[in-house]
Amino acid sequence: MSALQELWEASASQPFQPTISKDSQFTVGAVLLLLALICTGLFGLNSSFKSLPIYALPASLAFGVGSVYMICAVGVYV
Amino acid sequence: MRLLLPWALLGSAVFSLADPSANAAQDSQKTVDSAAAPPQHFRNINLVRNINLEKSYARETINVVVENIDSKPQSEYYFPFERGQIKRIGGLEAKDKKQPERTGFTAEIAALDQTSATEYYKITFPAALKPNEQITLSITYVSLQSLDPLPAKIEQSDKQYVRHGFSAYAPSAYTTLKQKTKLKLPTTDVPDAVKLAASLNAEGKEDPQRQGTTFTYGPYGELPAGAVEEVSVRYEFTKPLTHSTRLERDIEVSHWGGNIAFEERHWLTNRAAELKNQFSRVIHQQLQYYNPPTSALKELKFPLAVGSMDPYFTDDIGNVSTSRFRSNAREANLELKPRYPLFGKWNYSFRVGWNADLAKYLRGAGGDKFVLKVPFFEGPKQAEGVAYEKVITRVILPEGSTNVEYTTSLPLVDESVTKHYTFMDTAGRTMLELTALNVVDDQRDIQLVISYDYPFAARFRKPISIFAAVAAVFAITAVVRSLDVSIGRKTKSS
Repeated sequence: MSALQELWEASASQPFQPTISKDSQFTVGAVLLLLALICTGLFGLNSSFKSLPIYALPASLAFGVGSVYMICAVGVYV
Repeated sequence: MRLLLPWALLGSAVFSLADPSANAAQDSQKTVDSAAAPPQHFRNINLVRNINLEKSYARETINVVVENIDSKPQSEYYFPFERGQIKRIGGLEAKDKKQPERTGFTAEIAALDQTSATEYYKITFPAALKPNEQITLSITYVSLQSLDPLPAKIEQSDKQYVRHGFSAYAPSAYTTLKQKTKLKLPTTDVPDAVKLAASLNAEGKEDPQRQGTTFTYGPYGELPAGAVEEVSVRYEFTKPLTHSTRLERDIEVSHWGGNIAFEERHWLTNRAAELKNQFSRVIHQQLQYYNPPTSALKELKFPLAVGSMDPYFTDDIGNVSTSRFRSNAREANLELKPRYPLFGKWNYSFRVGWNADLAKYLRGAGGDKFVLKVPFFEGPKQAEGVAYEKVITRVILPEGSTNVEYTTSLPLVDESVTKHYTFMDTAGRTMLELTALNVVDDQRDIQLVISYDYPFAARFRKPISIFAAVAAVFAITAVVRSLDVSIGRKTKSS
């Protein structure tokens, strides 16, 4: 038996677990994208340098993670 | 021949060094042959060859008692094929018949002489065989495209007969003291089996001996290396000779989605007898009621792993609706009907794909290391068998994974690790591409085990790249909005 086969057997107790399961990808993606939209709207009301860390930063973060999950949820598993 | 002579002489010199007893004849033709032939270190004491013709390809098993007749321990046993035939041989493996669990036997094509009519597989034993000792080898292989329909053209509702040509003497690079060849046919309807003279037979019996669906050629007495006695059998085989010229398989691993996606692109052809006349839809439809055996390929069954989901079946035109997917806790069977029945020499190409949860295929091996175990290929499982000329499996790992290692028991001809670019990729995904030749559907359970490192930083590449792009847009917006582009005198702010 080869070394890789042994490695496979040895790690039997650690099956891969995604952070977010397939069933909740859509929910998580939708919530994050909505959050991104709200933050973007608030940033749009007062788009100054001061509101960059308050609204733009959370909006970009939420959009970054949310879009990855939303793309997975619609069947393009990136 | 003149050009080849120096090489032949060189070859004979090498062999005479290795084996002082070898006769270094100097006349041109013989020298080429003696250089091309492997050294006579062994003798086959008893050989039994089984040719199984129940499927659309021939599966041969040769059980042979081999004795080392050299004065030194030897571990390299040569097994000959005719040039041209060796390209259609697949899955050749050797085992110790008496100790099947013993591993370490390797089989590879030996490059002895590129001009000889015979080519050899070199089988290396895990441990050298001492002089006068014996080993019982079990050599198995499949021979693709070895059945040919005869007659080559038939009516749509006719029975099909196929011919299989072979040598009544088993291929051997060594002297064989005793041997016989057994054929296992799928039917008792055998109109032709070439008869050999009883004088050749060691027991003086009629040759071949027939018993139900089994034919036996031999036993034969002592025969020199390379002895050939061409014979053939022709028997009924009203089944498709499904042959895949190319199979491309993609396996895409997504850590973010917790998903593994499979896609197979098949190029099928039916090697069965051609239709004598035009295809008749009326006859075809009439026969549907009786559903008699036919040489047309009408259905493909893919037994997928339990838990497979979201299957699709498309061809050049688009979705093919004649498919059924039965999935429950015990099975996941994908049953496809091609757009049209495939009669002899007709082609069909299509793609099928499905998804599965990654958890069943991927395990964490501590730290950033992951182990993936997937079937090398799946493809349809047909009662009459499917033969693949070329299988190309591409495993597309997540972006940024490194240190890819793999193992599989299928003999490969090519391997490469490259980059694959698809949706939302910035650096490209690591892709392992493996190629195997001459594979049959019996081998569809052969697993491919891959390990790779997926560093923590690489995992966040996708959201971070989107984050960076969106954040840049926000920053630019803020800068643009802060610019004062009004016309007119600036009012001093105090």
